[in-house]
Amino acid sequence: MIQQVENPILEIHDLTVSYDQSPVLWNVDLSLPEGKLIGILGPNGAGKSTLIKAIMGLVQASGGYVKIFNKDLEQVRNRISYVPQRESVDWNFPASVLDVVLMGTYGKLGLFKRPGKKEKELAHSCLEKVGMSAFASRQISELSGGQQQRVFIARALAQEADLYLMDEPFAGVDMATETAIFQLLQEMSKEGKTIVVVHHDIHSAMSYFEWIIMLNLHLVASGPKQEVVSEELLRKTYGGKLNLLTKVTDLIRKKEFNPLKN
Amino acid sequence: MEDFLYFFSFQDSSILFIVMGITLLGIGSAYVGTFSFLDNKALLGDAISHAVLPGICLGFILAGEKNPFYIVGGAIFSGALATFLSSWLKENTKLSEDSIIAVILSVFFGFGIVLLTMIQKTGNPEMAGLNQFIFGNAIGILEEDLWVYGSLSLLIILTLSLLLKEFSLLVFNAEYGKAIGFPMKGIRVVFNILMILSVVIGIQAIGVVLMAALLITPGAAARFWTDRLGTLLILAALFAIISGIVGTYISFIIPQMPTGPWVVVSLSTLALISFLFAPKKGVLFRFISRQSYLKKTHKEHVLKSLYKAMEEQKSGLQIQELLSMYPVHKTETLKSIKTLYKTNQITVKEGFIELNESGKKEAKRIVRLHRLWELYLNEYMNIAPDHVHDSAEKLEHLITPELEELLDNRLNYPMLDPHQENIPRDHDDH
Repeated sequence: MIQQVENPILEIHDLTVSYDQSPVLWNVDLSLPEGKLIGILGPNGAGKSTLIKAIMGLVQASGGYVKIFNKDLEQVRNRISYVPQRESVDWNFPASVLDVVLMGTYGKLGLFKRPGKKEKELAHSCLEKVGMSAFASRQISELSGGQQQRVFIARALAQEADLYLMDEPFAGVDMATETAIFQLLQEMSKEGKTIVVVHHDIHSAMSYFEWIIMLNLHLVASGPKQEVVSEELLRKTYGGKLNLLTKVTDLIRKKEFNPLKN
Repeated sequence: MEDFLYFFSFQDSSILFIVMGITLLGIGSAYVGTFSFLDNKALLGDAISHAVLPGICLGFILAGEKNPFYIVGGAIFSGALATFLSSWLKENTKLSEDSIIAVILSVFFGFGIVLLTMIQKTGNPEMAGLNQFIFGNAIGILEEDLWVYGSLSLLIILTLSLLLKEFSLLVFNAEYGKAIGFPMKGIRVVFNILMILSVVIGIQAIGVVLMAALLITPGAAARFWTDRLGTLLILAALFAIISGIVGTYISFIIPQMPTGPWVVVSLSTLALISFLFAPKKGVLFRFISRQSYLKKTHKEHVLKSLYKAMEEQKSGLQIQELLSMYPVHKTETLKSIKTLYKTNQITVKEGFIELNESGKKEAKRIVRLHRLWELYLNEYMNIAPDHVHDSAEKLEHLITPELEELLDNRLNYPMLDPHQENIPRDHDDH
């Protein structure tokens, strides 16, 4: 059940990605509507984060292409905001909460220029939206997991983008933060922003998202929640990896070169 | 003393020049080194500094004399080659990063030593002083060389100040930098070039073997004192300048004494001082705060025992009774009794101890926290009543008034703990 849309905000065409030669995403082909809250679901190692990274050009695709706002990534980068996984950075880095949020303004500032008064005001207002105003001058190593996540989201807001790609924003956060983040995402989507979220919990996904993408090394489903959530598709997504696909992956890994590379 | 005055009054303009050079060198290498320390790439600096030796020798062979441009050019070339090779090996082989660095370091340095020995065999009279590049000699630097090193240092400092936000992004979250469209690969290349240059500026003053220490130690030592990047950079630069000048001064008063080892000695002293005495992260500070916490726990145990005696309808306890309750901590218990007496929380009459009003209030608080926590464990975590005591023994010293309020609220202001003992309140009668 893969539903394509007219005038998609994001179009992924036959995307294949491999890490060190082993393919982690096979021929993903989908298109996404504008202004929706979209969840990417799948078991561990299904390639959820890889899909987002491939959209942002952070990992190289070995086949296929991505179009955003019907353009190439490089032309529209400043309209896209990316939230990496919280664990992907060293929180002991000597920086304050405000310093991290200010990084969201770097894209528009460009190289060499330092953030000024305007950027700081923007950063403060973004911190306010995630309820972290009181923590602006706090050292980032002193934050809890939920607070770190809020800081990352504030940084993404400071980019003032139209499309948001978030990698596991609900992982390891407290209940209060989860609710607060979800409400914020809903407001943003009401304002017409498109938000794509990698998520691990199917139960909450049912209430959070309007559109759901299911991945398990390949695309299992993409469409409105009511239409894609069926027992059969869930079993396909979570019912273990396809045995044959794993065998092909092993076969490719054993080669001395990457046969999938263009 | 005379030497000291002569050196630090800077009446000798060549000394003034050298000190200015060392200061610039210190700032430059501390800045670059702090970033590579934060990036967990401390070893790369060591590899590069050893790897510049063959380049220095080649530069000498080509020029036939100690021409600063040939030497610096050669050093930059072999440093760049080493950096390029290490990232190429990392991308194209399955070798781990530390083995790559070990290989690069030893191969380049070994080759450099071979060249150095060959030069010495030729008997070229210009070669005198080439040995200085191993351990450095700041006093021996000629003014014309100083101009080269000084302007390279300035270049490093300026580039880093200009690209401060880009390098922070590189170290903290390079992937995000790439996502917002910054040329992170290019920024990494610029950073690596600065790293090579900062090694090159130090080769004559500090020497190739010990240059890595001047890169990494200032940042590592300064990290104990601050959590702010700006302060960290300033402090690291300060440490590097101090140790640079100390090393130079010792080379000045003791002829033939290399500078590098003394820079390392004074840097290590600064690092040791930071490690021991820095507030919050220093060993001493942590030791003291642990000691005062232990003192507090002993004091609170005494108060608790006295309160429990009151619950058994005794008015107080004999000192001997109290001491026998804590046989392992007799000295500490005695000290606690003294403190409690001095702060007027207990009265002591002929070896019999009773709680005062203020002591009773404090004792009630501790017993209350202990029993509230036991009840919380029992009700909310389903832990059996006979398993909750040990945890409460520790938490009773830690729970803050805010947390107490929260516990009370959750448990709905309970009267009894899981052992059916009374949870004491300030407004109770006894």
